[in-house]
Amino acid sequence: MAADSDLVRAAAGGDRSAWDRLETLYGPRMWSVARACGLSSDDAADAVQGAWLRLLERITTIKDTERVGAWLATTTRREALLIQRKSQVPALPAPVEVADPAAAYLESEHHTLLWEAVSALREPCRSILRLAAAAVGNQQVATRLGIPVGSVGPTRSRCLDKLRTRIPEEAVL
Amino acid sequence: MNDDAYLIAALRLASGDDPIPARVSRAARELYSLRVPDVVTADDVDTTVTWKVRSVSGDDGMRLLRFAAKEYVLDLEVSADDGLINVAGQVTPHPGAGSLVDVRTPSATASRGLSATGQFACAGLPPGWVHVICYRPGQPPLATRWLRVRP
Repeated sequence: MAADSDLVRAAAGGDRSAWDRLETLYGPRMWSVARACGLSSDDAADAVQGAWLRLLERITTIKDTERVGAWLATTTRREALLIQRKSQVPALPAPVEVADPAAAYLESEHHTLLWEAVSALREPCRSILRLAAAAVGNQQVATRLGIPVGSVGPTRSRCLDKLRTRIPEEAVL
Repeated sequence: MNDDAYLIAALRLASGDDPIPARVSRAARELYSLRVPDVVTADDVDTTVTWKVRSVSGDDGMRLLRFAAKEYVLDLEVSADDGLINVAGQVTPHPGAGSLVDVRTPSATASRGLSATGQFACAGLPPGWVHVICYRPGQPPLATRWLRVRP
């Protein structure tokens, strides 16, 4: 199987199948990033498309082509954050030079380990993370868990912090 | 902003409950047809230029953007009108006789010649991503970065 750097080089040189392969590998995680940022389906589609256009802009100059998956995830998140601001013509983001280290969570080929780690957490963390993954809004989460809506966000962040301490190394490497 | 979004994204990915729609995958693959070999992408500069309000056609916002590459500057004026987008601009200095500009979206391309002063205009494009590419005889094409415009 071709390395990511080979795929980027081939796509830059005119090989459409290499581009398609990159989409197969990284399209699903880009979609998850856009949706995890809270975007609607239509806006998430725009963010993902924007990230691929950024790759097309920089395909001959991108650094660290071995980590193009993390680069695409980072770029998707930046586009998603701009779309959230709802400007008609958002400011252009600076090109992503270095991928966010946290994008490594998406590189796992053992995603079930993440859910095993969630299952090992106590309530309300188990429930709040399941609801977060299902994109349930804060108001609904508050109702279901019987907590004030204002505490949903902070509670979720604390639960994610606990999850990080329990994620096996093999799930992020 | 911390890295919560990536971790939630990983959980979503693992759950398989919200897979990428086929139309989004297909659209990403089709973008490859927009690749132009040897293109020079112009960096955006002076993007803090403020919004103006078009006084002749209501409250439609208009944005001015400037891109620079090599010795050329591409100025764009992007606006939205009745659900569609309009792009006008100028290439300076004039890139020479026979130069053309394509205003491109993922689904449509409009080709325009340049006026004697290097100006061009294109109206009624579908909303979404748009950029401009300038073809100069005997030289690599110049492109702006992609902009997302949603009325």
